[in-house]
Amino acid sequence: MRAVVVLCHPAEQSFTRATGAAAVTGLQRAGHDVTVLDLYAMDFQPVMTAADHAAYHSDQPVVDPLVAESVTAIQLAEMLVFVYPTWWSSLPAMLKGWLEKTMVPGVAFVFDDKHKVRPGLQKVRRIVGITSYGSRRSYVSAINDNGRRTLLRALRLNTGFRTRRTWLGFYAIDSATPDERRDFIKRVEDKMAQL
Amino acid sequence: MRTLVVFCHPVADSFSSALRDASLSGLATGGHEVRLTDLYAEDFDPVFSAADHALHLDLPSKKPAITQHADDLRWCESLVLIYPTWWSGQPAMMKGWIDRVWVSGVAWTLPPGANRLQPLLRNIRRITVVTTHGSSKFVNALEGEAGKRIASRSLRVLCSRRCRTRWIAFYRIDDSTDEARAAFIDRVERRLAR
Repeated sequence: MRAVVVLCHPAEQSFTRATGAAAVTGLQRAGHDVTVLDLYAMDFQPVMTAADHAAYHSDQPVVDPLVAESVTAIQLAEMLVFVYPTWWSSLPAMLKGWLEKTMVPGVAFVFDDKHKVRPGLQKVRRIVGITSYGSRRSYVSAINDNGRRTLLRALRLNTGFRTRRTWLGFYAIDSATPDERRDFIKRVEDKMAQL
Repeated sequence: MRTLVVFCHPVADSFSSALRDASLSGLATGGHEVRLTDLYAEDFDPVFSAADHALHLDLPSKKPAITQHADDLRWCESLVLIYPTWWSGQPAMMKGWIDRVWVSGVAWTLPPGANRLQPLLRNIRRITVVTTHGSSKFVNALEGEAGKRIASRSLRVLCSRRCRTRWIAFYRIDDSTDEARAAFIDRVERRLAR
């Protein structure tokens, strides 16, 4: 499958980057064709500007060349893999802005004759989220898991009905031991190699 | 009450701008003292950078870019967030304001080895969200209402124990009539006056 890995972390050395590298290795082991979009390295501009907003409902909703590059990758993707740290129970602004600017009309969804929203990501067959949390798993699932909701529910509604979902979360990261971190990175690689 | 209004929309004559004006007018009627943060107008940078990350657990005094924002958060008793809901949540611009301003030493502390944040914004007794949605309430429920949960859960737990939340939302804006939008603007003004 063609997989697009959307990687979002500001620091060059980070647990998120290590899990992202493991995901890419795993996907390649399984023979998938992998494209990585490293949002911080690309210096992606996540702010929806007045110009972007004006273009949104036009025939040409994409104005920024970096956004166009992402859109080209998304339109070929059969698997979307998101790797990011959970902040405020959700996506970092950088990744949230990437969704806002790339998942525009004509890409993520289309309007039909009656101006109803219809899914646009028909090629996507699997969405994967790989993320770290500060909170414990029990707290995250009971109270708040908004990144997961945004990707596996809101974004998935724009794909076909049969799109599968995979979620790999590393919880309570602030008190995790080096062994637990290593085990998770290994688990990410193995899981990706099985997809 | 001392009220901090945080407004987020890129377009000057948008419906969200009308909601901001209605909110400010309602708050004035109610006799509230108001500070306004207009994130687009001040060209706020929402990206939590590598430099922010390196200073993550340091004192806020080392983060001059957010000094005024942090001061406003500590000052207010009531927080009003006004934004359009995009991809079921706050726009990146406002999410970045949360990522960069609600940091260690401002909104919370994290003792070594702990997994739960200790709240620092006990001064905030009320959170109000005024927002618009393209889709219906039903579709929003399917999508998981991430933005609502971020405000009413993630942010609220760092505020006063008795902090109340208000959700004032306009659904299906793309199909709405002028009358419905005008009625919503009136409703926002009345609610905010209380």
